[in-house]
Amino acid sequence: MRADALAKTFRLGFFRKRVEAVRDVGFDVNRGEVFGFLGPNGAGKTTTLKMLMGLVFPTRGRAEVFGLPVPSLAAKRRLGYLPETPYFYDYLSPEEFLDLVGALSDVPPVERRKRRDRLISRVGLDHARGRPLRKFSKGMLQRVGIAQALMGEPELVVFDEPMTGLDPVGRKEIRDLILELRAEGRTVFYSTHILTDVELTCDRVAMVFAGTIRSVGPLGELLSARLLSTEVCLRPGAQGLPPLPAGASQHRAVEGVAVNLPEGTDVDAFLSAALAVGAHVLSVSSHKESLEDLFIREAAQA
Amino acid sequence: MRRVLAIARNTFREAVRNKILYSLLFFAVLLILSALALGSLSLHEDVRMTRDVGLFGIDAFGVLIAIFVGVNLLYKELDLKTVYTILPKPLHRWEFVLGKWLGMLMTLAVQLAVMGLVLGLTLVAQDASFDLAMAKALWLLYLNVIVVTSIAVFFSAFSSPFLSGFFALGCFIVGRAVPDLRALGKASGGVARILFEAGCTVVPNLHLFYPSGAIVGAQVASIHRDFVGADYMIWTTLYGLGYSLVVLILAMLIFRKRDFV
Ligand SMILES: Nc1ncnc2c1ncn2[C@@H]1O[C@H](COP(=O)(O)OP(=O)(O)OP(=O)(O)O)[C@@H](O)[C@H]1O
Ligand SMILES: [Mg+2]
Repeated sequence: MRADALAKTFRLGFFRKRVEAVRDVGFDVNRGEVFGFLGPNGAGKTTTLKMLMGLVFPTRGRAEVFGLPVPSLAAKRRLGYLPETPYFYDYLSPEEFLDLVGALSDVPPVERRKRRDRLISRVGLDHARGRPLRKFSKGMLQRVGIAQALMGEPELVVFDEPMTGLDPVGRKEIRDLILELRAEGRTVFYSTHILTDVELTCDRVAMVFAGTIRSVGPLGELLSARLLSTEVCLRPGAQGLPPLPAGASQHRAVEGVAVNLPEGTDVDAFLSAALAVGAHVLSVSSHKESLEDLFIREAAQA
Repeated sequence: MRRVLAIARNTFREAVRNKILYSLLFFAVLLILSALALGSLSLHEDVRMTRDVGLFGIDAFGVLIAIFVGVNLLYKELDLKTVYTILPKPLHRWEFVLGKWLGMLMTLAVQLAVMGLVLGLTLVAQDASFDLAMAKALWLLYLNVIVVTSIAVFFSAFSSPFLSGFFALGCFIVGRAVPDLRALGKASGGVARILFEAGCTVVPNLHLFYPSGAIVGAQVASIHRDFVGADYMIWTTLYGLGYSLVVLILAMLIFRKRDFV
């Protein structure tokens, strides 16, 4: 899937006030990877996805799926999409709804029934398969949404914020599902602002701020590998604590004292000094740049 | 076509599970029946009465339900954002509109059939029969409903349900008066005449579908006699379906260009 310098300007109200929802968004999603699309609220993630799905026509730029222009049937046949707002026909049960989706995806009836039952179990809705969607909770609807996206056995799965509305167990289930989909050889593209999920699942990410892409690439490359700081937890010994190196700070921890050593400090020397004064070393942990640090750094620059 | 039918079937199912439509139909049947009961008390010729009042009631309620269905069922997809899920599926936007439309026609056919059945049973109870003239009249009313629905769908492809309903009702009222408006246009001159002519060309001539009392051929069409001939039925059917298709294609073109935000 490729977004090529996509832009969308909405015009609002009587005076046709311009709202630049997306200014310049470009990236390539490779086959078989999990791609995370990150950005704060209102950054233009949903609008970009809608352009990629052919729901909204871009003001500028081009969207392509499998090298085919959007929206073409050939492209749509190979993708599954979960919209941000999971509203479905609320008078249908999950079974009926998935059946409809299967019919639209040209799945033959017998296969349709099998696939539908498999998917309902896969998203954990066996207990509610015959109930009308009107009576579903938000998280349950989200699961129906994921099931319907997979009904056509798509090579590319596009989720707009798949984890919202799910409890911690549900979130973990979706993370596992995403990894399973990758293991099956599918490509997964999803937007989110839950950074831990991204760190746990994504191969590559793109970050969008105020409608503009700021960074695209493998997570490992985007996060600078350098050590930001090291935290050492100590229980003071008979002679108290060793002298703190320049720039270090200390604060009370659950047991003992946590000492924060800035980048470039000789950690080994500090540890020997601590042992020399009889202190107990409880833990040593190093802090690399996290996705959150990167996100906040980029957001500040944007 | 399978995809169009899947959408149509789902639209029909939506209507069947919609309580408002049930109550409308129930109300219509109740009102028609009570009008018939009142009529048979006061008049001698109760079979004539049954036919006239019955068809009038079916016409009025049919159009009302048609506008309700036409305006709501497409708009609801946009309002409740179900289009976001459906349109990225491998189907064309026009197939979606066509499916919605066919589903509406199925719904309205059932509604009209139920009202027709009630009318037929009333006639049988009065020792009369549901004859060919009645069947023809009912088919014409269904065509009328198809045209009105298509117009409602057209408006709802770009405006709110309230406005769409308003415009569709306006088209219906003007459409029924087309012969009168034409005459009025001919009587006046200049700009007025051109305006009337133009208006009568754009708005469908819905009077064709309710010909009781109109001069068809050499005689007055009456539901109590032969009503209208086969050629009238064929031409009117073609006209109704043709007009509806043109309006529907316009709706599809508008839908094709829309952003779904
Ligand atoms: N239909 C619309 N008309 C006008 N402006 C819009 C429209 N849709 C979105 N916008 C604007 O475009 C910007 C991007 O919106 P979008 O929904 O794409 O953000 P997002 O990244 O998905 O945010 P979130 O994380 O909250 O879902 C916002 O400033 C929003 O106000
Ligand atoms: Mg969004």
